[in-house]
Amino acid sequence: MKLPEGRLCRRRVVTDLATPLSRALEDSFTGYARLVPQDALLLDSDSAGILTFDRGIPVIAYHTGTGCGGTDALADIAVAGPYRVELYNLDREALATVHDMSELTVEPGTPAEQLAGVTELAQQTRDRAPDERVDQESSQHAVEAFLEDEERIAEIQDAARQEAQKRASEWGFDN
Amino acid sequence: MVEAFAVASGKGGTGKTTTTMALGMALAEEHDVTVIDADTGMANVLFHAGLADVETTLHEVLAGSASVEEAVYNRFGMQVVPCGTSLSGFREARPDRLRDVVATLAEGTDIILLDSPATLGSRSAVLPIILADRLIVVLQPTIPSLSDGIKVQEYATTYGTGVAGILFNRVTDDEAIEDIAPKAEQYFEGETLSTVSESDAVRGARRAGVPLLSYAPESSAAAAYRKAASALTVRSRDVDTVADRFSSAVIPDEI
Repeated sequence: MKLPEGRLCRRRVVTDLATPLSRALEDSFTGYARLVPQDALLLDSDSAGILTFDRGIPVIAYHTGTGCGGTDALADIAVAGPYRVELYNLDREALATVHDMSELTVEPGTPAEQLAGVTELAQQTRDRAPDERVDQESSQHAVEAFLEDEERIAEIQDAARQEAQKRASEWGFDN
Repeated sequence: MVEAFAVASGKGGTGKTTTTMALGMALAEEHDVTVIDADTGMANVLFHAGLADVETTLHEVLAGSASVEEAVYNRFGMQVVPCGTSLSGFREARPDRLRDVVATLAEGTDIILLDSPATLGSRSAVLPIILADRLIVVLQPTIPSLSDGIKVQEYATTYGTGVAGILFNRVTDDEAIEDIAPKAEQYFEGETLSTVSESDAVRGARRAGVPLLSYAPESSAAAAYRKAASALTVRSRDVDTVADRFSSAVIPDEI
């Protein structure tokens, strides 16, 4: 995917993607977000999730590390937080080419549900999205794809176990 | 005879406190139940149990300025130990004292439910999971919630705490959950205790600050929580065994 370069307008570290998604909707943001995981345990540190917006509504998702696009990319992005979120302004004309790439498209409410876990925000986003783009079942497909990825879940389990053991020493739980 | 359960989720917004209170009330129909708000940084039980105005809470007990008994309130057929919400109360509380609180309360009850923090980011947040015998994982059918639930389970099992089961909460698509729950179950050690749909009854109870089983006892959500409670096989062990369990959760005196 070749995305024209936008103008950086905001950069911050968040543990929860509900805030940037909610602000993008409120501000009718047009452009793209680079979501860079701060925890290199699960994915290599150079990889980032890309999510574009058209007037506050998510349009396409892509993951530079796995090469996945669309709903599959959301599963890659979802488990990698906390994130450094960089928002880039880019006008609709510049985004038109990538927004035509249907294989990368995500259903408008699915990022709020599957990246932030906030069903209310997902519904608000769907309410403002064009009707033809709304598909309530998309979220289910994203969850099922995640649960079918045994390798990814094993990585999450291993990382959590290692973290728990490391912290047990730091916190003195293993005395 | 007592078993302590941590009601945990790893992620906020899954309806953990609603679940804790509902399970507590359902279990209280057959058992003596004590609910402890172990989320000392973001307490919520007091708002669900009509205890928002009480003076003595777990904060004072953990600060050493009140006895455990002073922070126990009989509400909705259970003993409820709420936690305060002030920043100063949180600062003065010594989280390590939670072990003594749980051990003291264990002497006079059948079931302890620990409403646990929605984070794994600090010692005090992880403490309720360590103190519990088993975990009840509250999930929503979303990737962040499932992923965080898996992490909480790994922490629990690493620290020797078992898993009693999972509960899907705030479900908005009843058909989808039938496909998702069995796929999720394979990654969790316990069975699916129940699935609870988001409903007007649940929202109304939250707004009214009353436990769901008191606000809308005949609702389908209340029935779903009762189903979860009856699916939970409470293991009866004597108080000495439990005391050993708590003392084996070694925690240094100083933070």
